[in-house]
Amino acid sequence: MNRKALTCLILAAAMLPMFGCPKKKPATPAQDLNVDTTTVQPMAPNAPATDVPEPMAPKVDDQVEDRLLSADLQVVNDELRRRGFAADAYFQYDEASLSDETRDRLSKNADLLKGAPQLVLIIEGHADERGTNEYNLALGERRANAAKDYLTSLGVAEGRLRTLSYGEERPACTESAENCWAQNRRAHMVVTGRSNG
Amino acid sequence: MTTRRFVALSLPLLALLGTALIRAQSPTPPSPSPAPPAGAAPAPPSQPNEVTLELSRNQRAKIRLAIPNYAATGFAAAAGSAAGNELETTVRRDLDFSGYFDIQGPEQLAGLTLSGDLLRDRDVYRSAGSEVLLAGDLREEQGKVVFEGRLFDLKSGQSILAKRYRGSFATARRIGHTFADEVIRYLTGGAGFALSEIAYVSERGKIKEIWLMDYDGGNPRPLTGHRSTSMSPAWNHAGDGIAYTSFVNGPPGVYFAEVASGKKRPLVTSGSLNISPSFAPDGARLAISRSVGGNIEIFSADTSGGNLRRLTQSAAIDTSPAWSPKGGTIAFTSSRAGNPQIYLMDEEGASQRRLTFEGSYNDGAAWSPDGSEVTYATRRDGRFQIAVTNVVSQETRVITSGPGENESPTFSPDGRKVAFTSRRSGIKQIYVIDAADGANVRQVTTEGSNDMADWSRPK
Repeated sequence: MNRKALTCLILAAAMLPMFGCPKKKPATPAQDLNVDTTTVQPMAPNAPATDVPEPMAPKVDDQVEDRLLSADLQVVNDELRRRGFAADAYFQYDEASLSDETRDRLSKNADLLKGAPQLVLIIEGHADERGTNEYNLALGERRANAAKDYLTSLGVAEGRLRTLSYGEERPACTESAENCWAQNRRAHMVVTGRSNG
Repeated sequence: MTTRRFVALSLPLLALLGTALIRAQSPTPPSPSPAPPAGAAPAPPSQPNEVTLELSRNQRAKIRLAIPNYAATGFAAAAGSAAGNELETTVRRDLDFSGYFDIQGPEQLAGLTLSGDLLRDRDVYRSAGSEVLLAGDLREEQGKVVFEGRLFDLKSGQSILAKRYRGSFATARRIGHTFADEVIRYLTGGAGFALSEIAYVSERGKIKEIWLMDYDGGNPRPLTGHRSTSMSPAWNHAGDGIAYTSFVNGPPGVYFAEVASGKKRPLVTSGSLNISPSFAPDGARLAISRSVGGNIEIFSADTSGGNLRRLTQSAAIDTSPAWSPKGGTIAFTSSRAGNPQIYLMDEEGASQRRLTFEGSYNDGAAWSPDGSEVTYATRRDGRFQIAVTNVVSQETRVITSGPGENESPTFSPDGRKVAFTSRRSGIKQIYVIDAADGANVRQVTTEGSNDMADWSRPK
């Protein structure tokens, strides 16, 4: 599009000497308008009115709107993920410390969140089914807070992040096998609203 | 009360015999099969009446108790006789499960030639090895069940205990439990637990509520209806209230339910996480674990939820407090040494010391009623089992084995049983076993998925 416009401009510039520029006409002297103000009659009450059209309302193209501004939080969460936001950061068994991979994921999340400072999140802490429910609630709390602390250290405002431990009560995967347990040892991040309304 | 003395005196005698038998067989371990009692009773040799010397932990032999069918009269409706049957079954199951008795029921007594006159029949019962006879009489009066239970000392022929109860058909189980505890108290001097209850978590359709049931799984009923995730029920010592953890208002918080009225109120709900309550014996304070900026520490609080006092100060997880039954000590789980282990501290948080050293994961301590032991879940060879550790000697025994992810143990009010959760059947259910050695396994829940039992405290 840009290239096309440029070509056109160059062509026009090249053709300009052929046509030359129109000579400027000498200004005609201003004539007094003989308007007798007294001849203007007040408008009749039922004189016809000229219709004035509404201003043009351009159609909003959905492809162009920033989906992070959507009122639908599902749309916001989907859009964040499309841009590379990791909804889950994973942990080792009985660990709340962050692996390199988990740090990478959280770091990408921090960048996206700093670019959308209006979004408020909940960080859920989860554990696999092994061990007791009570200990796993404590473990989930630590995982959620480990993720929160790391995001905060990367510049995400602390007030935007809330934590909630579910322990082993809300598993993402329900089979008793390591590949399933690994999916359940996680900090799960979800946008829950906006900071200013 | 010569008859009572008979029972009291003969028990230590049998225990001595048992000890002698074990010594005589040593080094062979005591066999579970019946062993002849080296000239104990003047029993004819041809009869199958060997005294089974199944020795319990305190080396007390079982009392041989004959329970013939109860006499039942006047039941007009099927509901009445059903209540009578339930009562009869309840008494027998309670006595059997207590572990104090070797019961000879109607099946075992079927071969005896009885006249119906107890004074004449007692020698027949004795020749079959029975020491005490339990006779029951059931009848219906004005729409209520009336039960008379009697104990006879077969040696003297005397009635040594007689009790009469009356109640609606719905109270049949309760009458049975009440009489069973009377029998146990009379014959052993110890308090039974037939009237005790277990609070637990039942998961049905993704919802976890707190439920109550009789110790044997009977009469299950919900205590909460939050339609959320509620867990970790903890009885107070008076037995009239239960603290628990619930997600009902978002973040997990500690709540309290009155058992009689079902009334609920929040106890400690501020902040992001308050879980796993345990009452002090005076009922005025409780211990919880609570998040301090993501770090989980043990706190104590008033039962009003106020006066929060922090008891632990470690950078690791400190959770699942269990206040000792006589007060003074709190057991808890800490991962301060790298993995979860059981620790003890005094109730102000001082003198924190590690109790468990075997196994890489020990969690969820519960005290024995006398305060001498704690039971907890331990991971051994990659599987969770139930362990019991003496808090003074640190001597430890593992009382479950095999697969099943066994966890959340709790002692019975007499300290002789442990209830716990196991997934051995595929779904989490609550089981009861002997605290001494894990014997006499009984599954007490069947509907839904059930977990986190807390047995009511001794009355």
